[in-house]
Amino acid sequence: MALPDTVSVPRRGPSDARSAAWLMGPAYLWLIITVLLPLAAMFYFSFLSDVPIAGRNWYTTFSNYEAFFQQEFYRTLMWRSLRLGAEVALWCFVIGFPCAYVLAKTIKGRWREALFLLVIIPFWSNALIRIFSWTMVLRGNGILERFLAWLIPGFGSLDLMFTYPAVVIGLVHSYLPYMILTCYISLQTIDDSLVDAARSLGASRLTVLRKVILPLAMPGIVAGAVLIFVPVIGSFMEPRILGGREGTFLGTVIEDQFTAVFNWPLGAALSFLLLACVLIIFAVFQPILRRAS
Amino acid sequence: MKATPTLLVVGRLYLALVLAFLYLPIVVMATMSFNTSQFYQLPIDWTFDWYVQLSSNQRLLAATRNSILVAMATTLIATVLGTAASIALFRYEFRFKKLFQAALFPPIAIPWLITGTAMLLFFFWSGIGRGLHAMVLGHVALALPYVIIVVSARLRGFDADLEAAARSLGATPWQVVRYVTLPYMAPGIIAGALFAFAVSFDQFVISYFLSVPGISTLPVEIYSAIRQGFTPEINAISTLVIAFSITLLVIVSRFYRFGDSR
Amino acid sequence: MITPSYRLLTVTGALMLGATFAHADTLRVLNWQGYGTDERWAIEQFEQATGHRVVHEYFNSEQEMLTKLRTNPGAYDVIVINAAYTQQAAEEGLIQPIDLADIPNAESLDAELAGHPHLSLDGEVYGAAWVWGVTSFAINTQAISEPPNSLQVLWDPQYAGRIGWRDDAVESVQFAALLTGQDINAPDDFDEIRERLYALKPQIRTFWGSENEWNQYMASGEFDMATYWSGSAARSGGHFGLPIEFVTPREGAIAWLDGLSMQTDAPHPEAAREFIDWMIAPDFYTYWDGEVGAPISANVEAVAALPDGAFNKALMEDLEQVERLPFMGPIEETMRRQMLEVWQETKTYFQE
Repeated sequence: MALPDTVSVPRRGPSDARSAAWLMGPAYLWLIITVLLPLAAMFYFSFLSDVPIAGRNWYTTFSNYEAFFQQEFYRTLMWRSLRLGAEVALWCFVIGFPCAYVLAKTIKGRWREALFLLVIIPFWSNALIRIFSWTMVLRGNGILERFLAWLIPGFGSLDLMFTYPAVVIGLVHSYLPYMILTCYISLQTIDDSLVDAARSLGASRLTVLRKVILPLAMPGIVAGAVLIFVPVIGSFMEPRILGGREGTFLGTVIEDQFTAVFNWPLGAALSFLLLACVLIIFAVFQPILRRAS
Repeated sequence: MKATPTLLVVGRLYLALVLAFLYLPIVVMATMSFNTSQFYQLPIDWTFDWYVQLSSNQRLLAATRNSILVAMATTLIATVLGTAASIALFRYEFRFKKLFQAALFPPIAIPWLITGTAMLLFFFWSGIGRGLHAMVLGHVALALPYVIIVVSARLRGFDADLEAAARSLGATPWQVVRYVTLPYMAPGIIAGALFAFAVSFDQFVISYFLSVPGISTLPVEIYSAIRQGFTPEINAISTLVIAFSITLLVIVSRFYRFGDSR
Repeated sequence: MITPSYRLLTVTGALMLGATFAHADTLRVLNWQGYGTDERWAIEQFEQATGHRVVHEYFNSEQEMLTKLRTNPGAYDVIVINAAYTQQAAEEGLIQPIDLADIPNAESLDAELAGHPHLSLDGEVYGAAWVWGVTSFAINTQAISEPPNSLQVLWDPQYAGRIGWRDDAVESVQFAALLTGQDINAPDDFDEIRERLYALKPQIRTFWGSENEWNQYMASGEFDMATYWSGSAARSGGHFGLPIEFVTPREGAIAWLDGLSMQTDAPHPEAAREFIDWMIAPDFYTYWDGEVGAPISANVEAVAALPDGAFNKALMEDLEQVERLPFMGPIEETMRRQMLEVWQETKTYFQE
């Protein structure tokens, strides 16, 4: 029944734009409603004195942003959150990069695929449950302490639960697969003959690592670090569960503003200040990130 | 660089160590779900009781059903919208294409805390409301970029001449899509759909801010249980969830070669 | 698309369950976890007697409770509210007036408590007095043999790193105010309070957020002593058999009164009143206090029925000895913000 398509379709033109709009429209409309508009609303809220619903008095003000600059503890917490993000990203690199290297360069075939899957699987399983599982390991008189006591008789208490290191451990566990994945991808693209050439010219292993491998893997490392840093600075569930007394960060304060204190405008302002930090980080690393993608 | 045998062994040992770090807590957590003591006292006294109790916990069962409902709706919507968008991004050239591609990243790149609270505030204020429908709205936004990335990756290897050949042989545009394009894309679409399901099923932060009294998802219930003081029942349900996620991922891996992604 | 069908499901389910009763409602109660209203036997008895089902939602602080009321209008039937917050909730229009004449058991409420000024606003009653008690601290008797008699012990370096503390701005500030002899609802010397709270830094093992958590920490020996509520101490020591002892310090304790309120536009007002009536009845209280452990009832008949040697009888005698027993009262908006800020500052200081 169908007639042959005799009219050749131009690859570029107004009809293209229309078809593209039909195909892409719904997806982008969805993103506008669920991401763009909420962010815009939040920006608006951050300049209000109270939540603009019936029965409450509100007016526009800068006081939420002023609070951040007047109260020293907000800045301390912001700094703490940024430091946490940087530390977690650093640990992920230290632990993850060698792991990615071993996977990408020394293991081949089905084994590599299977091991790679093993590394990725935890990342796709529930983050909340994985944090919860650390409470089982770290709690006083828990598995870890028992194991160490058995290994080294007379080993005292670690006292890791409810400390800053506990939060770091939990977060590194959560985000390590990210770093392994991005490093692995960029290491895969390095041509082995390049390395062999450097070796044959007399470079030591360390020099090759420093002068050849690391620079070439840099896009993957930076991509991994940014992908880890960004969610970590907004974390609140992990510090709440593992941090105890040492678990106060900007993320937990923002959550409090929304779920307990009902000071949404202040929460919105703090969120935007956090977002500003994210944007600055992205801007700084933009050139390397572009190479990575 | 040819590694010496010693280095190879060290490398493999190291890999094993990292894998142990990744899996140890999960194994410990699962083991504790079979322990009789409510306060997790050692040594372990094996029991199935917590799983039995779980089967009569209406709250967790209702939350599980909600999680599955939301994840299925999210999968369906995100896969359809995402596949359509990927085709457009692959096939057509238009202005600001780069910008459109970049616009996919905010849902991934902005901390969930910020996206979640922004949705809470906007949905509450605008009258969209919270609850399961709001969670679907939010989850689809998070899942869309994943679907588009995975499907686009598959499309990149597609030879557009195949479509032209089919057309010249008399296929209608619909037939071209039905018999040429879609079959080629299928593995990508299936992988994308499974990703979407996993993203939604495990999503905690967005659901947490969008839940209303009596209507929550499994992760939200687990979180409030952890904060109220947990029991091995939570270990039991967590173990089931992890087992489910792992199974799902192993299935995904058949359609999407993680190791080869570049 | 999903919500309506879900509602349909729950509604059908509820209808099927309560088919034998003419008006079977599903009551939604907002309370602390493990605080009387959610006792399994109590709910079962209530369901059998009235046909209504009861489901619970929990909060971890009064602030969170208020925000749940604000963001979920018309979702709850009965809410347990500390009288210090009743007026604020009423002013914001979150809860509705209650006519005590509709609640038969209200007749035997202690007149002073039932008519407590904190429970009413502009001449209308917004909460039915339920139970009262004090906030102080409890010791782990396995770690401390001689019970201390002063709040000061929480700051004693001997117990550095062994104290459990509730992460709550108002309660923390009030402890410091009590220790320094200030008005707990409107302290005037915040520098002194800040100094006291900062000094807790080496002392605190971790924060606790719920009663269940408190029990777990105590059971695993994480705390030598921890701030606590009298009713919860009765439960932990009696029902859960933990080796603890509640301390009434000579400086006094923070007293509170919890009332039962109904949310504005509560979906099942009739059933809510029945539930409130059930909760303030002497029968419920006698069983709750005897088998589980509870604060002191606001119902005179229930208190009269307390057996000799009961935890609460001894507590009431102890409380007559203390220097002062200030009640938690309404806190002015600016004061509340100040309290939140000082606590946030303290927690930040704890991090360094």
